[in-house]
Amino acid sequence: MELFLYREADTVLHRLDARTKILGLLTLFTVALLFSQPALQAGWLVAVLALALLGRCLPNLKKLWVLLLLLFLYCLILWPMFVKGPLSKTVAFSLAMGLRLDVMVIAGVIVLSTTRVEDFTVGLQRLGLPGPMAFACSLAFRWVPAFLGTAQAVVQAQQARGLDLQGGNVVVRAGRYVPLMIPLMTHVLRQTLLLAMALEAKGFDPSAIRTRAGESRFTPADDAVLAGLAVLLLLSLWLRWKGYGVVEGVGF
Amino acid sequence: MKGGLLEVWRDTRQLVLAAQIAAIYAAVLIPFKVGIPIIPGFVELRPANAIPVVASLLFGPAAAWGAALGNLIGDLFGTLGPGSLFGLLGNFLYGYVPYRLWGRLGPLSSGRPPEPRTPRQILEYALICILASLACAGTIGWGLDVMRLLPFQVLAPAIFINNVLMSSVLGPPLLLFLYPRVARWGLLYADGPRDRKAAWAHSPVPAQAQRAPDGPRILIRDLHFTYRNVAHPALHGLSLSVKAGTLTVVLGGSGAGKSTLCYCLNGLIPDYLPGEFSGSVLIDGRDTRQATVSQHARSVGLLFQDFEAQLVSTNVERELAFTLGNLCPDLSREAIAARITDTLRLVGLDGHRARDPLSLSGGERQRLAIASVLAPRPPVLVLDDPTTDLDPAGRGALYALLRKLVETGTTVVLTDHETEDAVQADQACLLSQGGLVWDGRPDRLLRRPALLEQCDVRPLPLSAFFARLGYRDELPLTPEEAVTRLKGKHVQIEEPTVTAAFPDPVAPVVIEARAVEFVYPSGVLGGRPALDHVDLTVRQGECIAIVGANGSGKTTLAKLFKGLLVPTRGEVRIHGEDTRRMTAGRLASAVGYVFQNPDHQIFADTVSEEVAFGPRNLGVPSHDVPERVREALEAVVLERPGIADADPFSLTKGDRQRVAVASVLATRPAILIFDEPTTGLDYREIRGMMELIRRLNQAGHTIVMITHLMWVAAEYAARCVVLQAGRVATDDRTRAVFAQPERLGPLGLRVPQIPRFTQHYGRTLLTQEELEACFRIA
Repeated sequence: MELFLYREADTVLHRLDARTKILGLLTLFTVALLFSQPALQAGWLVAVLALALLGRCLPNLKKLWVLLLLLFLYCLILWPMFVKGPLSKTVAFSLAMGLRLDVMVIAGVIVLSTTRVEDFTVGLQRLGLPGPMAFACSLAFRWVPAFLGTAQAVVQAQQARGLDLQGGNVVVRAGRYVPLMIPLMTHVLRQTLLLAMALEAKGFDPSAIRTRAGESRFTPADDAVLAGLAVLLLLSLWLRWKGYGVVEGVGF
Repeated sequence: MKGGLLEVWRDTRQLVLAAQIAAIYAAVLIPFKVGIPIIPGFVELRPANAIPVVASLLFGPAAAWGAALGNLIGDLFGTLGPGSLFGLLGNFLYGYVPYRLWGRLGPLSSGRPPEPRTPRQILEYALICILASLACAGTIGWGLDVMRLLPFQVLAPAIFINNVLMSSVLGPPLLLFLYPRVARWGLLYADGPRDRKAAWAHSPVPAQAQRAPDGPRILIRDLHFTYRNVAHPALHGLSLSVKAGTLTVVLGGSGAGKSTLCYCLNGLIPDYLPGEFSGSVLIDGRDTRQATVSQHARSVGLLFQDFEAQLVSTNVERELAFTLGNLCPDLSREAIAARITDTLRLVGLDGHRARDPLSLSGGERQRLAIASVLAPRPPVLVLDDPTTDLDPAGRGALYALLRKLVETGTTVVLTDHETEDAVQADQACLLSQGGLVWDGRPDRLLRRPALLEQCDVRPLPLSAFFARLGYRDELPLTPEEAVTRLKGKHVQIEEPTVTAAFPDPVAPVVIEARAVEFVYPSGVLGGRPALDHVDLTVRQGECIAIVGANGSGKTTLAKLFKGLLVPTRGEVRIHGEDTRRMTAGRLASAVGYVFQNPDHQIFADTVSEEVAFGPRNLGVPSHDVPERVREALEAVVLERPGIADADPFSLTKGDRQRVAVASVLATRPAILIFDEPTTGLDYREIRGMMELIRRLNQAGHTIVMITHLMWVAAEYAARCVVLQAGRVATDDRTRAVFAQPERLGPLGLRVPQIPRFTQHYGRTLLTQEELEACFRIA
């Protein structure tokens, strides 16, 4: 399905347990958020791109390059307006913020490209997300392409009656979505009871959700990665506490 | 207060609702944008931003969870980051604030339900939009600023404006439409989750009851059931017994009670669908009221009519693992894997273990749905109307699979409205308006054509014909039987006078397709063109049927004719104009397209509003619109008093289909395209719809219809275009097409009974009228 970022491949990253990848993502976010020096963030960027190469996710990044560029530019342009300090420092700060935002988005893309949806939600569940919620997540994820298909059918059905979605100011154009959203929501809501019945007819019981058969276990590779992440985190915390990696003289 | 935030996760219905809201939110969030973006890629004006407020006022806590998860899932399609956490929180509040505050704003509250009708309600609604948007924008803005991702002063106002704008423009129309209907469907927050668990907590799970070895597997005694809030009973006085290891087919028209009967067999009625229930339904000697639906799932597997809705995974193997995990918790991992392999092999899907269900064909998805219900090996399998969307080859394959299952010992019950395959069953039942009218051997039932027709089920045409000839007993069911019955008699079939006039070659060309090729983007169909080198010319006044197996390109071709799609190569011309250069309005007034599912279009409160939508879009002056509406409703014979002001969803499927046709006719197109106009209709309704189409053709419209019912094509279309894998295999008069059954077989199509019968005598007749007019016994 074109929507999903997941790309089937056999790389080190694909073989890691979903929990490792989720924890890795969180660690990376924390570590990136700790520092505000551009050189350091640029280093993270290179590291993350290397990971993308490892996980064969570069085509996905190519798809999103406009977004990445825009986010970088916003940080670069907007932050200097809201931080006080000498120009060189604020620019350095904003540069770091832009790079950092991109690093985090790319890290997210890597995890999504190397993890199946169901594995992701099972991973969340084993990390503590309550069973029913994880299940609802995976259901919703499963339904998004189906609803998109219905939305498209509705768009075509209304266009066939002359609905023109172009032209007009914002309010008018928003209003034109009424004949699209009503049939879509109605169609979906009329199925609610049926879906609930279908689930129960397959023995589903919200209070007894269990993780499914065939789940993954931690492998030595996972253990190694988790150990490495722990070291990275501790090191970063220590460095930050010591005052490294921060652009001085920038205030709010 | 009915149920809080945690209740959502203990009730299946609310859980499903939360997941649905999340999915709609994400699905509408991704592609649809309005106007220039405020912060491109981050904050764009999206219609989706109205959904959390509307859902909150309708569904309460489920909407809060749904909005939060929906935002997260939207992020899972690309922009997962630390901001997602605050996005989750912000959207949760966005969906939480409205329902908590409605009615609690003190003097500012209107004291009425959340429908923005009166000024006070509108004021309250506006206030709530502002407060909810503030909560959302504040949370997200603050969070992202603390993390130094984007400054609060820019992000928060952007999100605030986005939310307030969308919820105030789109919210009221959505609420005004949805509130009364959601109330009717029993999904309103005020209805609350049902307290079923308490009832079952006390009754122990019954042990496997002893069934007498020769006793029936299913025994129904004097069953009466009336849905809540409905006047007439859905089933009354129904008594039925089904032996183990047999295939039973239940026939009946719309509203006969077939689905209701299915739901009674696995305990959904009365456990899930409340109403007045009396009598008993015993499965293996055990009453269905003694256990919950989940407990029943071990002994009765139910496949719903809309099988797509039953698939929950993105992977074939896990789809089966889901049911097995629920119902067979004591199976080891290896045992589960083995069971999955066996079940997939049984339904013919081995080798597809790792595939995404969305990449399978419709027939394969149905088999997957069957497999997922079959995996725990329930002794009884119930299928509710499984053949509606299948082409003839698919129907044959399904019945073959069911017979195979019966041979392994499963008891199978299915409902159907077509009779051609019913002979393969061991037992046949006929339902009419909630009562059991016939129960016995299928071949005996099929020899009662008058009874079948009375119950809105299509009789086999040959048996109906022979009944009219005066034969009383042993009516033939197949052409071969008919020929045998007539052996020794001198049968003569005359040449039929051509009733459906083939079009005047001088009539102007209205649709022309030249060297058309169409390839779906994003690799659907594996890159193979959906249509390849198609040349087709349609003249004014023709009535054409486009037939072919599923996936042959029929709908694609029809959409190209309508201009909904443009060819990747070649051209399509309507009245000489290239569709690529025509505006939506021009296309709507030239070509009308009636979609397969009328519910994809309905969005208005009343039938006349719905029908007026087309003309209004085309800029028809408002004083002319009522005339157009009246004219269109008259053409589709929807003239009974009060119909114009009725809620479209209160009508039957057949009438909703007519409303869809009327709404297309209101733009006065000369060309009409029908995509499977008979889906979901029973025999009487099909006849009604096809007569309507015939009348429209006689009034001068050019008709193009897609159908997989061969008898409909034979009886109503003068010309048949047969597609195979994107190419035109045959394009000729219908009679000529059906005169070559050996060519149609490999294309996955069946020649209907009457032509097959008459071909034994050297002619090809298409309809019962022709047969009666031309049949002679010397």
